[in-house]
Amino acid sequence: MRNRRVESLLGMSGSWLAMGLILLSCIFIILYVFFEGSGVITRDFLLKEPNPSALSAHEGGILTPMIGTVLLTIIGMLIAFPAALSTALYLVHDAKKGLFTEIVRVAVDILAGVPTVVIALFALALSTSSQFGFLSVTIEATDGSMRSYGRSFLVAGLAMAVMVLPFVIKTAEEAIKSVPYSYYEASIALGATKWFTIRHIVLKTARPGLVTAIVLGMGRIIGDTAIVLIVLGGTLRMTGLQPWWQPNHWLSTLQNTGCTLTSYILYTSPAGEGNSTDVAFGASFVLIVMILVLNGLAELIGQSNRKVVNNG
Amino acid sequence: MTKKVNGTTTKTSAISSAIVTKRLLPAMTDFSMQWLVRLLALFSVVAMAVIFIFVIGRSMPVLKESGIRFWTEATFDQQITNAYNAEAGKPVYEFGMLGLLAGTVFSTLFALVLAIPIGIGAASVLNEYAPQWLKVPSVAIVRLLASIPSIVYGLVGLTVVVPTIEKWFVTVDMQIAFLDQFQMTGRSLLSSAIVLAIMIVPMIVSLSMDAMRSVPDSLREVGCAMGMAPWRITYKIVLPASKSGIIAGIILAIGRGIGEAVAVSMVCGGIGLVPDVKNGVGFILTPILTLASAIINKSEAISVPSIESALFACGAVLLTIGAILSLISRQVFRFIRKKEGLDA
Repeated sequence: MRNRRVESLLGMSGSWLAMGLILLSCIFIILYVFFEGSGVITRDFLLKEPNPSALSAHEGGILTPMIGTVLLTIIGMLIAFPAALSTALYLVHDAKKGLFTEIVRVAVDILAGVPTVVIALFALALSTSSQFGFLSVTIEATDGSMRSYGRSFLVAGLAMAVMVLPFVIKTAEEAIKSVPYSYYEASIALGATKWFTIRHIVLKTARPGLVTAIVLGMGRIIGDTAIVLIVLGGTLRMTGLQPWWQPNHWLSTLQNTGCTLTSYILYTSPAGEGNSTDVAFGASFVLIVMILVLNGLAELIGQSNRKVVNNG
Repeated sequence: MTKKVNGTTTKTSAISSAIVTKRLLPAMTDFSMQWLVRLLALFSVVAMAVIFIFVIGRSMPVLKESGIRFWTEATFDQQITNAYNAEAGKPVYEFGMLGLLAGTVFSTLFALVLAIPIGIGAASVLNEYAPQWLKVPSVAIVRLLASIPSIVYGLVGLTVVVPTIEKWFVTVDMQIAFLDQFQMTGRSLLSSAIVLAIMIVPMIVSLSMDAMRSVPDSLREVGCAMGMAPWRITYKIVLPASKSGIIAGIILAIGRGIGEAVAVSMVCGGIGLVPDVKNGVGFILTPILTLASAIINKSEAISVPSIESALFACGAVLLTIGAILSLISRQVFRFIRKKEGLDA
C-alpha cells in the first residue's frame, strides 16, 4: 500500500513536472525570440530589401524575404487547394469502396510521411529535366542541349503544394464529413444534381472547415525551410529582371530565385554565412507573428464553425 | 401567319433552351465536374508515384556502385570531398552512409527517450487532472509549439542549447582527449536530440490526448469505484485503453524526427561520425550528421553529378523509411484495437 502511494505521488508529480516543462519551454522560446528580435524591428527593416553592405545602416531589411514567403504561400495553395478539395470530395462523396479508393488513401498517407527534404530533392530532379525548363531559367549548354537551372519560385511553389497536400486533404475531408449526410440526401431528393448539391449545399456548409484547411496549409508553407533551401536557390534578393515588382517582370521574378523568411533566418544565423544573429531573430520575430496571426485566425474560424453547427 | 410561325418557332426554341438550361446543362456540368474531381483526386497518387520514380531513379548510380559498402562504411564526409575534387573523367560514385544512419537512429532514439515520458505525462495531466482554466491555455500553447517553424527551433537551439551544453559538459581536458577523433563543441548528438525532442513533444501530446479522450468515462468510474487513486486510474486503465492511438502517434513522431532536416543540421555538428559507446560522456557529445540534415548540409555541392546521386540516395533511404512508418502507423491502430476486441 505504501509502495502504491509513493508510486502515485511520483507519477503525479512527474506528470505535472512534464507539463510544466513543456509550457515553460514554449513560453521561453517565444519570449526569447521576442526579446532578442524586437530590437531590430524598425520601419526600414520591414520595408527595405536586403543589401550586401558592411555598414549596418545600409544592410537593408527583410522586404524581399517577406514577399517571397507570401508568393510561395500563394503559389503553393493555388496548386494544392483545388487538388486537395477534389480529393476530399472524391473520398467522401464519390468513391466506392474498392481498390482505387484504397490506393488514393494509401497514397495520401504515404505522402504525409515523406520528409520535406525528399520532396525538395524530387522537385529539383523534376525541374532540372529539360521538359520542365519553363518552370525556371534555361540555358544552352556547350554541346547545344538546353539545361534548366531548376530553382525558382514556381518550382518551390509546386514542391510546397506536394508537401501540404496530405494535410489539406485530411482537414478538408474532416470538414466535408462534418456536413450532415441528411443535407445531402434532402437536396438530392429535391431533384438537384450531385454537383449542384456539392457546390451549393456541401461546400457552403463546410466552408469554415475548408478555410481552416487553407490556413493550416499556409502555416506549414510559411514555416518550411528545406524546400526553400534546395529549390529556391541561395539568393537573398529577387534575381529576375529588375525592378522585380513591375508587372511586366512578374513572370521573370517567378521563374527566378529568391528568398523567404526561413532561408533568410538560416543565412543570417550563426549556421549560415551571415552570422548576424540579431537580424535572424528579427526575422524569426516576424515569422512567429505571422504564424500566431494565422493560428488565431484558424481558432476564430473554428469557433464560428462550432456556433454554426450548434445552431443548425 | 408569319406572326404565328414566329410564335411557334420562338416557343419551340424557348422549350429547347429550357431543356438545355434546365436538363442538359446541369447534366453536362455534373458529368464534367465529376470527372474533373476524379482527375484532380489523382494528383496525390501521381505525386507519390513520381516522387518514388525520380528519387530512387537518381540514386541508382550510387546504390549500384557502392553495393554493400553503402551500408557499412562511415566515411561520408571524406567521400563527398573526394567526389568534389575528382577529375571530370573519373567521377567517384562510392559512398558509405553508416555514419548518417547511426546519427539518424541515435538522435531520433534519444529524442524519443526524452519526448515520450514528457509527452505522455503532460497529455495525462492535461486530459485527466488539469482544471479547465489551466487546460484551455495549455492546449493552445502546445498547439502553438507544434506550429513554430523548425528554423526557429534551430536558431534557438544554436544560440541557447549549444552554448549551454558547451558550458556544462565540455571541458578543455575532454576536448584534448578527443582531439584525434573530432573537435568537441556543443554541436553534438545531445543538442540534436534535445532540439528534436522539443519538436516532437507537441505531436506526442496532442495525439495522446486524442487517444485518451476517446476512452469512455465509465472505465474511469469503475476504477474510482474500486478505490483506485487518480494516478493508478490513469496508469492502469486509461493508458492501456488508449494504447493504440498513443503508439500510432509515437510512430508518426518517429517519422517526423527522422525526416527533420534544417533544425538538426544547424545543431548536429555536421560530421557523419558513428558515436562510440566506449567514449563514455563523449558518446553523447559526438558531432553527428543525419540522413536528412546531410542533404541540407552538402546541398552546396549538388551540382556534381556523383554528389547529387549520393544525396538522392540519402533521400531514397528517408523516403522508404517514411513510407514504411506511415503504413505501419496506419496498420498498428487497427491491429491493436482488433487484438483487444475494441472493434471488429
